[in-house]
Amino acid sequence: MPLNKDSTANTFLVATVLCLVCALVVSSAAVALKSTQANNVQLDRKKNILKVTGFTEEEIKAGGGITELFASRFETTIIDMRTGEEAVDEAKAAMEKAKGKELPNIKATYDQLWASKRPPESGLSTKLEKKQDVPGIKKRENFSHVFMLKSEDGSSVEKFVFPVRGMGLWSMMQGYLAVEPDFQTVAGLTFYQQAETPGLGGEVENPNWKAKWPDKKIFDAEGQVALSVSKGDQTANDYGVDALSGATITSNGVSNMLEFWMGEDGFGPYIDLQKGGTTTTGGDDE
Amino acid sequence: MSKKASAKDLVMDPVFNNNPIALQILGICSALAVTTKLSTSVTMSIAVVVVTACSSAAVALIRDRIPSSIRIIVQMTIIASMVILVDQVLKAYMYSLSKELAVFVGLIITNCIVMGRAEGFAMKNSVRDSFLDGVGNGLGYALILMVVGFFRELFGSGTLFGITVLPKKEIVDGVSQGWYEPNGLMLLSPSAFFIIGIFIWVLRTWKPDQVEEA
Repeated sequence: MPLNKDSTANTFLVATVLCLVCALVVSSAAVALKSTQANNVQLDRKKNILKVTGFTEEEIKAGGGITELFASRFETTIIDMRTGEEAVDEAKAAMEKAKGKELPNIKATYDQLWASKRPPESGLSTKLEKKQDVPGIKKRENFSHVFMLKSEDGSSVEKFVFPVRGMGLWSMMQGYLAVEPDFQTVAGLTFYQQAETPGLGGEVENPNWKAKWPDKKIFDAEGQVALSVSKGDQTANDYGVDALSGATITSNGVSNMLEFWMGEDGFGPYIDLQKGGTTTTGGDDE
Repeated sequence: MSKKASAKDLVMDPVFNNNPIALQILGICSALAVTTKLSTSVTMSIAVVVVTACSSAAVALIRDRIPSSIRIIVQMTIIASMVILVDQVLKAYMYSLSKELAVFVGLIITNCIVMGRAEGFAMKNSVRDSFLDGVGNGLGYALILMVVGFFRELFGSGTLFGITVLPKKEIVDGVSQGWYEPNGLMLLSPSAFFIIGIFIWVLRTWKPDQVEEA
């Protein structure tokens, strides 16, 4: 069979077959590896939660690895952001409705970023007014994870870990804020996902910078969020952390994130309930 | 390439005699970005070797059927598929490294070495030769990455593969430890240029025939 490889017919044939083969290879790899990749993401988040509460690599190893240590020391719950009450069943019902399938293990599998992107009618998210939307997230999920670090004997909670996120210069920075049970002292802040400028804003992941956060205070005497990122040496300032040089917008993003998630549109209602409703967080009234 | 080259020549030639970075000055950009640490350099090297070898072989396999009007697009499609494949595998089995390499694995697609070998060699040679040529050029790239990564990590952080080699000078609990003052410049991109420059100098002193005529 004579083959004219430069004929129009052959050009179309080669292009079509090549695209089909490549598409098949790429998509089957993506599908086959999907669950392993999802596991990695879960593992990475658990690792970040362990790190933000002060566990070192050695302690994680000694505790039997990330999954085991996380399972033995942490309690995971889901709360309703609007009321601050625990709402595992409500979250489960809303998620099952949105996904159209049974979700038996909602505490572990709840994906709040996905939930925050659903339309408000689904009951999973709330649209934020421009004035409220300090961190630039547009919609806030109605249900959020809260992770609690239990003491060795399991009798008390040593640290609370809240998922937080907000816009930096280029990216949605996603991380965890750990606070002491007084809901006033920071135990740590970490980011597991960000795409800020490497070397400038990307330094939010620098251990030296992260080490500046523990022991800082969150609320001032009126119950307003006072903790922020500001220029200059803030070692002596309980309410300040030195900004990242050359990364003003990223630094502001971190401040905005704290203001929002610790405020009344964030975890404010939950914190009030946990404190026994004795203090109010104040802030902007509706 | 009229006479049949041996497998050894095909693999070793691009490493020292015809190094894609040192002689042809291709693929410099990613050599700067991923070499602050040896672990990322090694991962990136393996990824590039795999992509160059497999895409060259794939191009060689269908070289008689590729219409010349769309040959570059065909090569790009094959290379891009390989890179996505490698990226997916890294995400599944080496998650923390793939997080550090971030976008640079994807950018292998634009690495001139891969494209250059597909167009310059694989279009005219057998599958076996193209595969070996891909391995060789990948290794040539890998060699530079390792050398640069070695010096940058050693002098920039005082570690190799994350293990402390030169104890860093710091004060822990009021007691000063170590003696090495890390060179911050080594962690920034310009240092990669210096090291590649020195490498080319050494290589051309050893093999004077690589020196270009002034």
